[in-house]
Amino acid sequence: MTCEELRPEYGAWALGIAEEPERSEIAQHLERDCPNCVPGVRSAIATVSAMASAIKPVDPPARLRKRVVSMVAPEPERSRASIFFPWAVAGAFAIALLAVVIPGRLARTPAPPVASNTGQAKFEEVLSILNDPVTKDVAFGDPSARGRFFVSPTKGVVFIAAHLPTLSPGRTFQMWVIPNGGNPISAGTFQALSDSTAVHYRPGPVENAAAMAISVEPSGGSPQPTTTPIIVTKL
Amino acid sequence: MSTAPGPNHLLPAFRARNIFTLPRLQRYPHESANRMILPGLILALELSGEHDEELARRLQRKDPQAMADLYDRFGRLAYSVIVSVVRDSSLAEDLVQETFLRVWNRAHAFEAGRGALGPWLLTIARNRAIDHIRSVGSRMQRSSQEFDAREHPSLFVDMERDILNTDHARVIRKALAKLNENQQKVIELAYYEGLSQTEMADRMGQPLGTIKTWVRSALRVLREELGQEVAA
Repeated sequence: MTCEELRPEYGAWALGIAEEPERSEIAQHLERDCPNCVPGVRSAIATVSAMASAIKPVDPPARLRKRVVSMVAPEPERSRASIFFPWAVAGAFAIALLAVVIPGRLARTPAPPVASNTGQAKFEEVLSILNDPVTKDVAFGDPSARGRFFVSPTKGVVFIAAHLPTLSPGRTFQMWVIPNGGNPISAGTFQALSDSTAVHYRPGPVENAAAMAISVEPSGGSPQPTTTPIIVTKL
Repeated sequence: MSTAPGPNHLLPAFRARNIFTLPRLQRYPHESANRMILPGLILALELSGEHDEELARRLQRKDPQAMADLYDRFGRLAYSVIVSVVRDSSLAEDLVQETFLRVWNRAHAFEAGRGALGPWLLTIARNRAIDHIRSVGSRMQRSSQEFDAREHPSLFVDMERDILNTDHARVIRKALAKLNENQQKVIELAYYEGLSQTEMADRMGQPLGTIKTWVRSALRVLREELGQEVAA
């Protein structure tokens, strides 16, 4: 469809109510940075965004601030209950992954039962990494652990593993992206489940990555690895 | 799961005859011409202070204090948007948490010098809420890629940053009040319930073409009132 044909639908698209084929067509135009559609959609999104200001403010409970802030606070301050990806969901997800992913790339796998929509959304985010056609799927296995990294240059990294070592109190696993000719870049910290398995992912672009690594760091993580990584996998 | 107070308490706007159309003094009886205790003013206070750019840069540096500051500025508004859609306070808390985490994880793609942080965050917030009610209703299952596209940081570049400020809040309320009944209805169904235009046609017993016309004309009125230039 032409930009002119799509123009009347910018607003509906910004509201999330556009119908097919306009919905997909606008997305395609945006994806190729269409000089006509991008400004039009931006304007429509601005209008929709402004509508939020017409909503009567409702005070959130005071605890919500703590929940939000604790998600990114250093480890000792982090409330286990507030972690966005519940370990129960992670466990179910790990089982599903180990069952269906390792034999090959997912086409589209039915979601395992999840505890909440929040978990569902994260699950879909992980699936989008696994389903990316350019995702690299690299296995590793050594005496201490075995598993896989799934690395999408544009969407992020998923790490699954079994037989991870038991950590001392005050220690955490930390994932690293090692770029070509650069210093490791932290890709977040995580803990293993009680059965020594773990699922960890970090959304966002992974540019110029030459290898992935896992190290054991003090709780809260480190700006750079402070111990010899227990897993290093070339991509 | 705890449930928020009933819709008439939570959304004086929406269920009976929404916030957009009720006279202002009826909605906020404590207001007077000289006592501007308006949502817009509260918004302005929340949005004042540090500029988007510096806050965005601190988010990109993964400064935990930036998350606290981000919440202090936009948490109430994000919660208001989400709870107005899902009408469940406990669920809204989860979705607010998810919203802020998504901003935190994707801040690297945000153009700190040119992007509009508030509109971006609120778009993510509403998407999370709409995604939830659609998934619960098993309708209009959309891929995460579609939400990704609508909340991509590049779409919030060069957007007026204070689009959520007092003046705009007043303008948008005035504009919404100008819509006729049908236009208001389709905007409500779209904004709060995430109904597709086909679903609206079924709900309202009107042809799809008529619904599309109402949606387009309503958005045109809002856009013109906001003084935006790009016509749709």
